[in-house]
Amino acid sequence: MRVIEVRLSLEVVVPLLEVVTEAAELLCEEPSSAVHLASLPDDLREVWRADLVGSQKSDIHQLLGLFGEKFFEEGLVYLDEQNAEPVLRACAAVRLQLHRRQLHGLSEDELESGEIEVANLTEPLRRAFVAYLFLATLQELILSHLNPIGE
Amino acid sequence: MTVIVETSPVTHPESDTLTERAPARRWLVVVLNDPVNLMSYVVMVFRKVFGFDETAARKHMLEVHEQGRSVLWSGPREQAEAYAYTLQQWQLTAVLESEEGDDGYASD
Repeated sequence: MRVIEVRLSLEVVVPLLEVVTEAAELLCEEPSSAVHLASLPDDLREVWRADLVGSQKSDIHQLLGLFGEKFFEEGLVYLDEQNAEPVLRACAAVRLQLHRRQLHGLSEDELESGEIEVANLTEPLRRAFVAYLFLATLQELILSHLNPIGE
Repeated sequence: MTVIVETSPVTHPESDTLTERAPARRWLVVVLNDPVNLMSYVVMVFRKVFGFDETAARKHMLEVHEQGRSVLWSGPREQAEAYAYTLQQWQLTAVLESEEGDDGYASD
């Protein structure tokens, strides 16, 4: 099984984890903004919502599980073929949540390009934006090195 | 006992002559743009969920990005629901639309 070891700066990442964890905890109770129930028949909505929240919760658990003892001792996290997909989905869910709750004031162009003068943001907004970028970097690492398509 | 057998032609009510059923309503699985998900991630999800090759997946991703939406699949309702569910599980904004343009659940 392929495994990638990622060494992270504790000084940079630990403060971001607070932001990630806060957004992630909400996602254990509510669906992300990707979940649209309006186009579903009435009798399906509640089951659909509950199942998706359950699946999201499981993904979030995998993401937060990366930051265990090894991370706090040495800054190391391990990504492999088993956690790649849930971590990808959880990163997407948390990024959507950060956008919904904190970053909605930033334009689409700013978010897509990442070209934002971070120093001009308020401290909570700055941390949310850097966490948002950090999760995208984790996703890019997985897509580059673990190839979930399986080719 | 006398049994009277009528020999006149048997007629059927008019509605019974229409034995062909209307074709099943088709459903569209539509992905809407969001400003958050990475393009490379969206391409990977399309490949994984629908089995597209890289070119087809990129075409749909660019359609979502540039036009705000792309129809990824069309067909029977149950399969459309399964695709929409999986896409939402992957955190993409997927909706179901009836090909006829209404929500259509009441008569399906």
